[in-house]
Amino acid sequence: MKRTLSLLTLATLTLASAQKVVTPVQIGVAVAQTSNTALLGQEEVIGAKFAEKLINARGGINGTPIKLVFQDTGGDEAGAINAFQNLISKDNVVGIVGPTLSQQAFAADPIADRAKVPVLGPSNTAKGIPQIGDFIARVSAPVAVVAPNAIKQALKLDPKIKKVAVLYAQNDAFSVSETGTFQQTAKDLGLNVATVQKFQTTDNDFTTQVTAVLGDNVDLVIISGLANDGGNLVKQLRQLGYKGLIIGGNGLNTTNMFPVCQKYCDGVIIAQAYSPAQASAANQVFVREYTAQYKKAPPQFAAQAYTGVQVFVDALRVIDRKKKLSEWNLPDLRVELNKQVLLGKYNTPLGAISFDKEGEVNQKDFYVAQIKMQDAKNGTFVYLK
Amino acid sequence: MELSSLVQNVLNGLAIGSVYAIFALGYTLIFSILGIINFAHGAVFTLGAYFTYTLISGQFENNGLLRGLNLFPQGSPLSGSAWGFAISALVGALAAGLVGVIIERLAFRPMRTRSADPLLALVSSLGVALVIVNLIQILVGAESYSFPEGIYGDLPPALLFHMGEKVIIIRTVQVIIFAVSMVLLLILGYVIGRTRTGKALRAVAENPGTASLLGISVDRFIVITFFLAGLLGGLAGTLVGSSFGIAGPYFGVTYGLKGLAVIVLGGLGSIPGAVVGGLVIGLAEAFVPAEYSAYKEAVAFALLFVILLVRPQGLLGRAQIQKV
Repeated sequence: MKRTLSLLTLATLTLASAQKVVTPVQIGVAVAQTSNTALLGQEEVIGAKFAEKLINARGGINGTPIKLVFQDTGGDEAGAINAFQNLISKDNVVGIVGPTLSQQAFAADPIADRAKVPVLGPSNTAKGIPQIGDFIARVSAPVAVVAPNAIKQALKLDPKIKKVAVLYAQNDAFSVSETGTFQQTAKDLGLNVATVQKFQTTDNDFTTQVTAVLGDNVDLVIISGLANDGGNLVKQLRQLGYKGLIIGGNGLNTTNMFPVCQKYCDGVIIAQAYSPAQASAANQVFVREYTAQYKKAPPQFAAQAYTGVQVFVDALRVIDRKKKLSEWNLPDLRVELNKQVLLGKYNTPLGAISFDKEGEVNQKDFYVAQIKMQDAKNGTFVYLK
Repeated sequence: MELSSLVQNVLNGLAIGSVYAIFALGYTLIFSILGIINFAHGAVFTLGAYFTYTLISGQFENNGLLRGLNLFPQGSPLSGSAWGFAISALVGALAAGLVGVIIERLAFRPMRTRSADPLLALVSSLGVALVIVNLIQILVGAESYSFPEGIYGDLPPALLFHMGEKVIIIRTVQVIIFAVSMVLLLILGYVIGRTRTGKALRAVAENPGTASLLGISVDRFIVITFFLAGLLGGLAGTLVGSSFGIAGPYFGVTYGLKGLAVIVLGGLGSIPGAVVGGLVIGLAEAFVPAEYSAYKEAVAFALLFVILLVRPQGLLGRAQIQKV
């Protein structure tokens, strides 16, 4: 297997070695447009397209337009690998924004790393993503940084919290990583984790878990899953009589959860790496454009995909000022782009960000929001101080 | 295990098992007539839920080509009452039945007229399933859609029963699902067992050649079978969708796999077997302890494996007798 991959990588490099960079400059976006994960990937497609539109409207890369090349990863590892291979060897992109899930990143990122193609993970928050290789970075802050804020905020709202139930999707690498952080934080804060229960992201009947949680008389429930399963869990907890606070992880940080749990979403606390209220100019333009088209504030996943594209473009601008992009060979530009991405500082919809030498994002602004539902389908994330 | 936990698990298992049963009946009906599995059945299940949702809500506000569509600017007349839901569910199921007929025309009949290998029809139905699922996503996006609150009228969301000091909790929607499923199964049992149509269906299932010689239009009864299977699948989709929401276009995939397990467990082609198989798998899942509930599907399939070792023909299937 390793040998096959090495040969494939070598072939790719050989093909690309003599290749000049084409204009418009092609940036790959490999996210989930089909499968259950499309719920998140769809938002990323929208965010990336907004970035393309707004960046090209402002002159692209010093006058050279960009073109996003989309490849569907589906929801599994094989789909992500296939999408990455196409972008690297067929579409000849300078870098890739993707994939959607951490689970997919662990499978597909090594392929890009071996081919020396820079990757920016838009929504990969599991532990160990930047460590996959030198060419792998992410704009999505790791759960270890974001998640603890939610528990601290819950304790502010209800200092009497003692017993906690933790539920997580065991078939999703990101949820497994996130729940580890949640459980450790809960213990560090002196809380008693009364029960830990697993489910699958494809589940929709949570009667077993909910009745067990109710039997433990907990004061706080913490859920790590995705929008649909997480939303259903919230709904069934409330319908069966749970009245305490609920914390949702990053996978529940999307307005797509509102139609699932409807009025029962009200009050759910979510730690976030993005807020539409973030004051940066880049964010305000993005929020205005997004709201005009979709009649709602942009979700985190759209903002992160936008940021991924923007980071590549900002880095390419710096490179282009030293030597015109059209004069570069593609493999050399990919290597240079990777270096420049890690060196730069960026003002993005997520606020000011930069990267450490491994490719981990340094982000200052994090938020904790509480969902407030206006009616059955429409709600907002109200930011808590 | 305490008695209260036992009762709770049985109620949970019967509720979900009854959905598996009516879903699997569609598989069984087609298998008993044609001897093949219709892999598009999961997609029909999904469509049934979307059809009903369209009648009750009339709008898809997220992504896809139908974004912004509003069929009922003044609000759907079918929303907010039990009768409205019942009518919508019935229309949705009938529409799903028609889809079943279209699938028969597109995926199965051409293969049958050319006497193609049954495997080709199976693959063809898989293709149809993928086309339907992707079509749904193109039209309404990948988002989940939930039925509005109060579709069953003023019923409370959950029912409580006291058992000593313990409380047994069950969602009202689970009771509705179980009741509707049981009524449906009785109706279907009557139609198949006691009516002329049922007798003709059974004759076609037994031997299409002989049935044809007796003046029974085999093609017509195959169409009726696909219509009934689609109707049952669509109604199962509506019932699950009303309980848990419609989890996107891939909503029916898990039920499709589970349905296969159910009919194999119950006995291929056996209608009572599909019912028993559905309830057994539902109960098996319900009895998986909460902390291991992520593995409940593995438990269901492990149970299937064990039972097939003991009874290869399934719980109520007939053993193949070969004359020598």
